Parts: sequence; structure tokens; C-alpha cells
Amino acid sequence: MTITRVEVTPKQGAGMRDVRGDVVRRQLKADHGIDVTEVRSITGFLIKSSVPSSDISARVDDLFSDPIIEDAVTDTLFLTSPHHFPTVPDAAITVGFKPGVTDNPGSAAYDGFRTLFPQPEPLEDASVSTYQTYIFYGLPDGTTAEWLASTLHNNLIQRAVVSDIGACTQSQWPAIDYPEKPPQTFTPPQAMDLEISDEALIDMSESGLLALNLEEMQTIQGHYRDAAVQSSRAAVGIVGNAPTDVELECLAQTWSEHCKHKIFASKIHHIDSETGEDSIIDSIFKTHIMKPTHDMQKEVDWLLSVFHDNSGVIAWDENWSVCMKAETHNSPSALDPYGGAMTGIVGVNRDILGTGLGARPIANTDVFCFGPPNWEGDLPDNLFHPSRVLRGVHAGVRVGGNESGIPTVNGAIVFDDRYIGKPLVYCGTVGIMPRLLPDGRESHIKTPTAGDIVYMVGGRVGYDGIHGATFSSLELTEESPSSAVQIGDPITQKKMLDMVLEARDAGLITCITDNGAGGLSSSIGEMAEYTNGCEIDLAKVPLKQPGLSAWEILVSESQERMTIAVKPSDCSAFEAMADLHEVEATPVATFTSSGMFHVKYNDDTVAYLPIEFLHDGVPQLQLESEWHTPQPALFNPSTIVLDEDENHSPLLLKMLARPNIASKESWVRQYDHEVIAQTAVKPFVGIERDGPGDAGVIAPIHGDPHGLVISCGIAPRYSDLDAGAMAAASIDEAVRNAVCAGVDVDKMAGLDNFCWPDSIESAKTPDGKFKLAQLVRANRELERVCRAYRLPCISGKDSMKNDYGSGENKISIPPTLLYSVFGDQPDVRFTATSDFKGAGERVYLVGVSKEELGASELAFMLKESGHSEGIGGQVPLLPNPEQNITTYRALSTAIHAGLVQTAHDCSEGGLAVAAAEMCIGGRVGAELDIDGTGHSSVWSRLWGESLGRFIIGVQPEHEADFVEWMSGHPLTFLGTVTDSQELIISDGYDALVNLEVPAMVDAWQNALDMTGGVA
Amino acid sequence: MSAPKVAVLFGFGINCDRETAAVFDLVGGKSERIHVNNFVQGNRVLEDFDILAVPGGFSFGDHLGSGRLMGNRMRFALREQLHAFVAAGKPIIGICNGFQVLVKTGLLPGPNASNPLPDFVQRASLTLNDSGRYEDRWVTLEFDSESPCIWTKGLQRIDCPVRHGEGKFVMPSTTDFDSLAANHQLAVRYVDPNTPVGQGATDEPLPFPISPNGSMRNIAGVCDSTGLVFGLMPHPEAVYAKWLHPHHTRGSAPGPTSSEALGEWEGEGLQMFRNAVEYVLSKR
Repeated sequence: MTITRVEVTPKQGAGMRDVRGDVVRRQLKADHGIDVTEVRSITGFLIKSSVPSSDISARVDDLFSDPIIEDAVTDTLFLTSPHHFPTVPDAAITVGFKPGVTDNPGSAAYDGFRTLFPQPEPLEDASVSTYQTYIFYGLPDGTTAEWLASTLHNNLIQRAVVSDIGACTQSQWPAIDYPEKPPQTFTPPQAMDLEISDEALIDMSESGLLALNLEEMQTIQGHYRDAAVQSSRAAVGIVGNAPTDVELECLAQTWSEHCKHKIFASKIHHIDSETGEDSIIDSIFKTHIMKPTHDMQKEVDWLLSVFHDNSGVIAWDENWSVCMKAETHNSPSALDPYGGAMTGIVGVNRDILGTGLGARPIANTDVFCFGPPNWEGDLPDNLFHPSRVLRGVHAGVRVGGNESGIPTVNGAIVFDDRYIGKPLVYCGTVGIMPRLLPDGRESHIKTPTAGDIVYMVGGRVGYDGIHGATFSSLELTEESPSSAVQIGDPITQKKMLDMVLEARDAGLITCITDNGAGGLSSSIGEMAEYTNGCEIDLAKVPLKQPGLSAWEILVSESQERMTIAVKPSDCSAFEAMADLHEVEATPVATFTSSGMFHVKYNDDTVAYLPIEFLHDGVPQLQLESEWHTPQPALFNPSTIVLDEDENHSPLLLKMLARPNIASKESWVRQYDHEVIAQTAVKPFVGIERDGPGDAGVIAPIHGDPHGLVISCGIAPRYSDLDAGAMAAASIDEAVRNAVCAGVDVDKMAGLDNFCWPDSIESAKTPDGKFKLAQLVRANRELERVCRAYRLPCISGKDSMKNDYGSGENKISIPPTLLYSVFGDQPDVRFTATSDFKGAGERVYLVGVSKEELGASELAFMLKESGHSEGIGGQVPLLPNPEQNITTYRALSTAIHAGLVQTAHDCSEGGLAVAAAEMCIGGRVGAELDIDGTGHSSVWSRLWGESLGRFIIGVQPEHEADFVEWMSGHPLTFLGTVTDSQELIISDGYDALVNLEVPAMVDAWQNALDMTGGVA
Repeated sequence: MSAPKVAVLFGFGINCDRETAAVFDLVGGKSERIHVNNFVQGNRVLEDFDILAVPGGFSFGDHLGSGRLMGNRMRFALREQLHAFVAAGKPIIGICNGFQVLVKTGLLPGPNASNPLPDFVQRASLTLNDSGRYEDRWVTLEFDSESPCIWTKGLQRIDCPVRHGEGKFVMPSTTDFDSLAANHQLAVRYVDPNTPVGQGATDEPLPFPISPNGSMRNIAGVCDSTGLVFGLMPHPEAVYAKWLHPHHTRGSAPGPTSSEALGEWEGEGLQMFRNAVEYVLSKR
């Protein structure tokens, strides 16, 4: 084996640009205000192979460089070429991967290398590693090469080699070497002696990153004291009275908070210090989420599969069913925003692929919560600046979604200081499958039988991703492990996805699930419940590198893998299909009915756990919850003095530029939202295609306008006053957004994704009782609103340890519920968007504005600017949801009937912001009067965020019909759309707002554009 | 008369295969999604088809340059089959990543008219957008009415989405462009929607985002000298119906007022695929 270096750089010349260098230059300007004259780039390849350098050099233009646009050199550094780099730079920085980190360009290059230099089999050791060199000219004083390097790489996964100006002057260029993986040593399975003190048990759990509490450790201890267990173990030749390390790790993964949702399943003693309530809740999940949905399932025929599979499935029409799942990937995204977010999106895609017998992902959603991108305060150790988290997460989701060919149709970005401690990265995916497969089986039902062969399909198992599930069940610390971080490989996954869907349609799959948290331990372990047993041989599992120990193979969360069961008679067809698609598929296990999770390494049994104990053995947590209403300083707008001439106008411009309200277009445009040719309402709408979309609408069957609406709601700051109100507001917002797009309110389903700070009282979390009470209230409101809306929660997820640090420096996120809705849209030709359609349109408010300014965006803005002491006050409530849903039904059917083409929900910033956005989308003015929109103060009617409200535009010829259609529902005439380019809002005779549309466009669009332009 | 058979390639990260297959079916073609390796391994033969479509996507992640690795697979493994396909006068289209693949195999813009059969020499490239960003946005396209391109017959101006990070069309010298222009091979270009229809095309670089990528001479797509092989960065298949146009809720999505396929809801992009199907039928 020799290592050949190839370097490639863009040609210079008329019309040619070094775009990679330009991107770095623009980002330095946008993020740090640093002007650099020029940045150039070199892409490097280190090829480890048995092919001589001279042969590679001769073919370099066939693979590594594009001769039309690039130049290349072999076995030297480009920076030594005075022809290409005549001027001495101020700095040169090379960034490459650390050993063992996924290098997607490198893998692709190696694939291409084998096309040019055919080799009988991929050589075990041969591969390609890539790197980037950035060369800086005209650095301003004080900008050091070391600092630049720190902005260009993440030392958790990458290495940087730096030449500062001194080194550059002496022609000492940054040369990076091939990242040889350190050898791993296989450690034979060990017996773990649990006959130790309680303190030692806790210590074992903590030092081994097991994340098990004392009672759980004792339960495991008890299992191995059972004489019957001991004798059955002796019969298969495994240590009798103690677990192996494989078993302990397997139990830790399966029993982790991440996999078992122990807080949602716990028995809670709940006290309300205000009402005097003192009660016991036996599982929040079963009580408030599962039971209501199961009750609804009895009343409708379209809820096909809820809770038990990787995503919930509903019947969409006679031929097709649809499913949806959302996940979070918060901890990995905090450590490596790019890789963490990418594995988040491609991971939830696999949940869809693993639903039923395999669904096809057709739409992604993503919702992020970050610290403010312009944060100027201190940052705790080991945390990235919010702007860097935003860039990295965005890039990861962009690459993951775009390369997988799945459109991103809906999402949101929310900002709050507390998300500096832990960003929230929600990724959702919608899938579709034929209700019946060609062989007549119903696609949403898995059909495994004992004797089926279990394949691991897709990527290989490596040292990456060990302990992801248990790690995410712990708080983030400075010592958080790098092995918990991975980079996704969308192309490996895409190949697998193509192949799996063909195998499904050929009837070859009896059972399928994805490998996510807990790896094979979870995927095979869960599927083994169907047949009540399995036997795995870990020695058969293909590895990225030799030397992994048995427990590591079992629990590694290496990406891009599905676990698929196939009948023995279908195995050869299945393997041939995998070969055609160049997808690795390896039989690693067999389903049995033995009642045992039986794991071998070659002939040795290394784990032998009863399926029942593995899945149901975890003891129920007993937790304490105590509610008292938070009393933050009040927000009282009546003390605010406005300039009489300008009145509320300057406030509206400032509100439009608030990160929570401002346009995210420059970010969202970088997602493909139209692949599959189905997106009928896109993320941005209106005459210039830049107004806000309320919900995504897709028509996934080509040629057929039957649609599906996808929307979301999130209102985390309401938790500062009442997490129950936060939950109700999130659900209502998601439903309102869907209604704007014309969802059939009688056929929609929801997903609850809870992200909470640690809610278990302890020394680290002295306020755990209160945080748990917030969770109780949120779930009670969730049940109340969902029952009223007849909105089943068909899938959900919780992430319960979203804190950073401890003690005084602890940062806990605000309790956050993301509620996603997907529902039927009868005909996408009849939908509505938020942009005003033109002068003469008649404008109405649906709903009522109440005195509800507590925790509003306006309150936060005026508190931050020192104009208000606090944000306290009445938070928006949903007292009568049964009434709301009848109004929503009336509005939605008016849209289906073609009476309404313009609808926008009022959320952050209330009526004022909603009206401004509608003018921006249509590039037209409007003259509106908010008199009569509610018995509340002018501040509340203009800026309040009362729920249940929409602004509607209706063409004059439909006005009478619309008003009649809505009779009995709260409806107030606001005014008319004008061609004046001015938004004028008054309250009777009082002028409130008078703004030019172009000024609003600028304020709204420029605040979050961090692209640095195109110059 | 039997429907023209359309091979729509997929695999290795191609991801617009389903909609590309669907639009051919809507206009009377009979499409089949075929994994690249089925042609490479000889399970299927290209000769059995009348039309070849290379759809959009991210083949091999676009690492080492968009379309490069897929281009190599085709250049080395399907060379004879592709040569025979073109020699038989059968239409080929590459959309987005498919265009990048055809450029990097050398099928586009191809050799000059005196010897038009494929020589698999790369003469142009598609490189990173000047903006440095992948973007999904709608652009306005105008077609060269004198182009020999069989795919663009009768098309004047359409709205269409682009979804790419590497769409800047470049060639080494201005004479390369001049000879393509003389043959009317610059079949489709980005234009300012405010220009009169038919007068939008210009050689001067248009500003972002009218030209989304800084393409030389605002080129969005080119054909070979025979007019049978055509590639473009924008996605006509993504506007097969008016309900996919961003302005459909404003009642102002452009397109034909009636069609067999979609009634009054046919979008502006579908005609391109109908042109190819009708071309095949006309040659029978």
C-alpha cells in the first residue's frame, strides 16, 4: 500500500471563480465583520492503494479534477507552485477528518477510483481521505491564522494544520497526512460482578455511561440471583450469576430514557399548591396521549396503526396510506451541528422506511430552536456560538434532505437565549405506501415468523455512535464523548432506500425496522418481540474496522442501516437485489420462538436475556410533581410612551426584524422543497414568492390533485407563564396553519414531540418537581385540546434532558412542545395562501382578540429594550376548543368551496405582524380598522397573540357568500386591500400604523439573511 | 401504434426518477424506471427503448463534481450502448443532475455537426453557482426558436424551478460558445421576465437571481448538433401541472388552457416531454 496525494484547485481566468474560497470570505464578513481580500481553495485527496502514483497521475483528469474548470497536481502540494500561487498568502489552513470519521467525498472518490482501476474486491485497507486547504490574502490586523482555523473546523471530528504568515513566508505549507485509524483491540466478553454495594452499582452505571439508576441496577442484580435464570444460562454455557458486559450494555440501551421514555411512563405524585389537588398519575403517556387516541380510533376507520411502529399510519384514500414521524437530535447537534443534524434527518427518514413493511419518504419538516444568532454575551465552555450552530445544523439538514431527494416542505426556526445551552433540532418525515402490496398483504402490518432470516442492510458497524442513546439521556458536559457524534451518508442510505422499496414490492420483506438508538440491540430486540425470540451471531456483522468488541457491535449506532427479515426461501432473491443496487446485506440473525434474546459471537453465547425481561423488566419510576404558577414581572404596555406622529409604526418595523418573526427565506431556499414534483403550496408564497407560507401542501400522486397538508406549531415562551398554555397554543397553531391550507379538519392526525429540561428532582435539579408539574400540565392540555379537536396523536417522541452544566451555570431550555399536523386536503387546486391577492380584496378577522399579552413577542422585545419590566400577564388560553374547531371547519370548507384564496393565521406579533406579512406577500397595501375585534385594549388587539384567529381575504364577488357561510362564527370586517403600497391600521378614529410596504419588506427580509450576498 | 418506450435511469442517488417517469406517461409514453446497473450488467439493453431520460438528483452525492462519477460509470460501462442509441436517432434528455451527467460524459454539447456521433470527450462543465449556495427558486426561461432541439419545439418562454448548487455552464473559450450559438445549440437561457417574450435572451451575464448561477451567456440548457440530445438545469417536470406553479393560488399560473392529460390544469413544462414522444411517433 502506498499513499498518493492529489490536489485540485479551480482554474483562474475570465468568468471563473473560486467559489469555495468565496463562501469562506463571505461568511467571515457576515458572521464576524471581517473583510478579507481573497480566499482561495484547494481540495486534496490522499489515496491509499496498491496502484502506483504514476498510474494515478495519468488518470487524474478522469476522476479527481475536471479539466474544463480545475487544475491538478500529484504527489506535491499546490502551494509550492508559483504558477498557481504567485503571491505569498497571509495564512494557509488545511482541514481534514480525524481517523474513523465518516468522509463522504472520500468514499465517493474510492468508488470512482475502483471504476478506473478495477480491483477484484474492495481491498480491506484501501481508501481515499479528503481535505480542504484555504489560502487567505489580505487578512486584517488582529485576525490570526489560529483563530481562522478554529472557525473552519470542529476539533471533535476534524484536524487542522495551520501555516501563519511567518510559515507562509518561509514556504512552510500545511501538509496533512492520511488519517490512519488506531487499531482497536477485541476484548472478549467479561462477566460483570453485580454482587457489590449500592454505591458501587451507581458508580458502575456512571463510569460506564450506562445511565441506569440504582433501582434499575438492583433489578438487574435481582435477575441474576434467580436460580432458574442461573440454570438456564448454564445450559447455554454463559456465566450464570452475573451479566456479561454485552448484556449490561444491551439492557442499558433498551432501558434508557431515550428508548423506554421512563418519565412519560412513570407514576407521578402530583400536587397543585393552588387548587389543593393531590393525585397520582399512572403514566402520562398512557393517560393523556394513548388513551385519547385509542378512544378516537374506535370512532374512525382511517387510523391504521398508532404508537407501536416506527411511525403512525393513516389511510389517505382507498389505495394509499400515509405516515409521519418526527424526532429530535439535540445532543449530537450541540457537539457537531452539521453531523448531528444530518444524522437527525436521515435517521427519521429510516423511521419511515421502517414503518409497516416499508414506506417511501416523501416530505421532510424541520424545526430548530437556537440561541439568538446575534448573541454577544458569554458562552459556556464547549458550546458553539448560536450562529455557528445555526449554520451547521442548517447545512446538515440541507445536505441530508436534498441528497436523499426528499423535499423539505415545512418548518420553523425559534430563538431564545436558553437554547444556547442545548439547541433543539426536530426533524420530521412523511411517508407514503400502497395500502396493499402486490402480494396482497396490508403494508402497515409486519408479518415475521420464527425461522425468518434477519439481515443487516446498508452501512457497516464502526466505533462511531457508541452510547448515543444513553448519552442523550444525560446532560451535556465538557467531557461529552466524541464517539456519540456521527456524520450521515445520504447516498449509502439512498441506495438502500431504492433497494428496500423494490424488495418490499417484490414481497421479499416480512419485517423491517431501522437501526437508530441502541443499534442492533434495539432493532433486532424489538422485532424479536413479534416471534418471541431471536438468535444473533455478532461475528457475522460487517465492520468498518476490525477489533470491535461484542458489546460494541451490538450497541453501535452507526448510521444508514436497516434490519430486515426475509423468509429463507426468499434470501437468494433478496441478496441478488442488494447486489444489483450495490448495497451490503448480511444475514446476522434468525427469528425464533424461544422467548430469549440470544446473542452469540461465533459459537460462544455472549448474551442470553429473556425477551420479556429485556422489554418489560424496567421498574416504573416514582416521581414527585408540584405546581405553582410562575409570577414573573408584569408586562404593562400602558406605561410605554409612543411618538404621536409615528405611533405603532416603528414598533412594527422592529417586530418584523425580530429573529422569531423575520423571514428565514435565505435559509429555507437552500432546501429542495419541490423534488418529487408534488409541492402545491411551498414554504414561500405570493407574487414575488417570498411571503410566509402557513403550511406545506403536497399532491404526491402524479396527475392527481388529491393533497396532503403538513404543518407545525411551537410556542415555547408561553412556558414561562404556563406550560399547559404552551401546549394548547402549539396544537392550536399547528391546526390553524393547516386550516389556512384547507385541511379536512375531520381527517388530520398529530405528532407530539416534547423537549423538556431534566424533570427529576435531584441535587443537580432542585426544581425538578416544578419542571415535572409543567410536563403534567402540558399533557393535560394536550389531551383536552386534542379530544376537542378530534385530533389523534399517532406518533410522538420525548427528549427529557435538555440542560447544560449544573449549579448556578446551569442552562435549562424552556419546556417545548413541537406539535406537527398532517391531514387530508381534498383538492390542492382549492387552497389558500397568506399573500393578499390584489386591490379590492375584502379583509376579515376570524376569531376574537382578548386581553392576552403575557409572554408575547412584543413583551419580550420591550423587556429586552428596557421599556418593560417583564413579560408577565395573561398568557393566551383556549377556553372553548369545541367552539374553535367548528369555526375552523367552516373556514376550511369555505376554502374547498373556492370562496377564499387568502388566509393567514395570527401568531407571534399578533394581527399587526400577520397583516404586514400579507401585504409583503402580495406587495400591496391595505387599510384596516381593528375596532370591534374584541373587548380588549388596543395593545392586545394589535399585538396580542390570542389563539383561534386568522386574517382572511375574500374577493368582493364572494364576500356575501363567505359572510353567510361563516354565520354563527366570530367574524369582523377589517378593511380592504389597496394598491397604495401602504399598510394603514387604525382603531376607529385613532391611527396606529402607517408603513410603506417596501420598508416592511426590508425589515422583514434582511434581519436573518446571513448569506453575505453573492459578491 | 404502441407507446414510445422511455427508459428513466435511477440508482446511486438519482432522485427525480418517479416524476420524470410520470410526466412521460402523462403524454403518451410508456416509461420504466431502470437501475443503471441493469444496463451495465446486461440484464436490460438500452436498444429496447425509444427515449432515454437521465433525471435529476445527487448521483454519488455529487462528490468530485456534480454528475462526475455517474458520468464515468456511463462513459466507461455504457459507451457502446449510448453510441448506438444516438446513432439510431433516439432522443435523450438530462435534467439537472442528468444534464451534469451528460455534459461530463461528453454527450453534451458533443462534437460538431460534421461528425455528430458521440466521442465521449468532455467539452464543457457545470460548476458551483457563483452564489456558492444550493437554492430552490423559480426562474424564467426562454427557448431558441431556431434550435434543432426536438425537445423544445414550439416552446417560447416558461416559468420553471431550478434546484441546484452546480449549475454554472462554462466552456474554455468564447469561440466554443460562438459555434454553439451559430448552430442554435444554446437551446434555453435564463431571461429577465420583464423583457418582451422572444427578446429575453442575451449573452451579457444577468444578475442574480434572474440568472441563478452566473452561467456563461445565461445558458440554462444545450442540445447536441443533432438536436436529439438535450440537457438543462431547470426542472420542467416539476411544473407538469399548474398546481405546482407558485402563483396557482393567485389564479395566474401560466400554461395551456386545455389538455388531454390534465384539462385546464396542464403546466408549462409538460410540452417538452410530449415533443419527444411525438417525435418518436412521427419517425415510425
